[in-house]
Amino acid sequence: MILIIGGAYQGKTEYARSLGISDICDGASEGTDRIWKHSAVNNFQLLVKRQLEAGLDPLLEAERLLQKNPDILIISTEIGGGIVPIEKSERLWREAVGKVCCFLARNSSRVVRVICGIPTIIKETGDNN
Amino acid sequence: MLTVITGGSKCGKSSIAEDILSRFNGKKIYIATMEPYCKEAHAAIERHREMRLGKGFETVEKYTDIHELDLPDRCGVLLECACNLMANEMFSAGEKEPVRKIIKGIGKLSERASEVIIVTNSVGEDGIEYPKETMDYIKNMGILNCALSERADRVIEAVYGIPVMLKGSLWQ
Repeated sequence: MILIIGGAYQGKTEYARSLGISDICDGASEGTDRIWKHSAVNNFQLLVKRQLEAGLDPLLEAERLLQKNPDILIISTEIGGGIVPIEKSERLWREAVGKVCCFLARNSSRVVRVICGIPTIIKETGDNN
Repeated sequence: MLTVITGGSKCGKSSIAEDILSRFNGKKIYIATMEPYCKEAHAAIERHREMRLGKGFETVEKYTDIHELDLPDRCGVLLECACNLMANEMFSAGEKEPVRKIIKGIGKLSERASEVIIVTNSVGEDGIEYPKETMDYIKNMGILNCALSERADRVIEAVYGIPVMLKGSLWQ
């Protein structure tokens, strides 16, 4: 698994395409079983939001995704910076994205952070653990 | 050795901080600054307590006035976190110069402790224009983080559990 993170509109998707990946589905709308069949999922943070709204545990869902599609490339916008939101659902979403992305980062062979279009590899392991 | 660890919400700041303190050879003290004022705070405190279990840390609760702490010489200290401390100083204690007070407090901790680890937070990253008191808080946190980082031997940004070094090296 490869994890690509960074703020909004920083060039994460362009970076994924530069790796030769064109089969990218959208976490904002794509069905779970279909995400299992794609090589990449974009807007992972919005997939987490949908899972919370559906009463699912995003961490369990991420574990399932990893089992079904271990080589997937995941693109997620970082939303954890800033002031803690007053709205409870916003707060829980922000925390869930943080927790799930910690899990994804731990299980990724490579984590790339894209800022201003510049990719920085912040984790790289030899194997695909 | 002074270490500053910053990052967003739930991005692994605490586990990196606890790893560093765990490797410290000597008395390990955890300064908890979060006031248990609501159910979510209780849950967060409980979660962090569980994370620290069995690591041999002595927990000291101190919500404001950290300069008053009387620490044993040459101990290791983890303060979690500067953002709660700042909020407590500003909004509970009504402190007029919270930045100066916290820097003085951390300076005092550093005189006694051999290892000081401060967990802070990147609170100024959402670009939202908040009411004045929140903007003052963001500004104070920015000034504090810069001042601490200037004094620090290492500054780490936690990115989903990955320590990204902004200053110094992880194991020095």
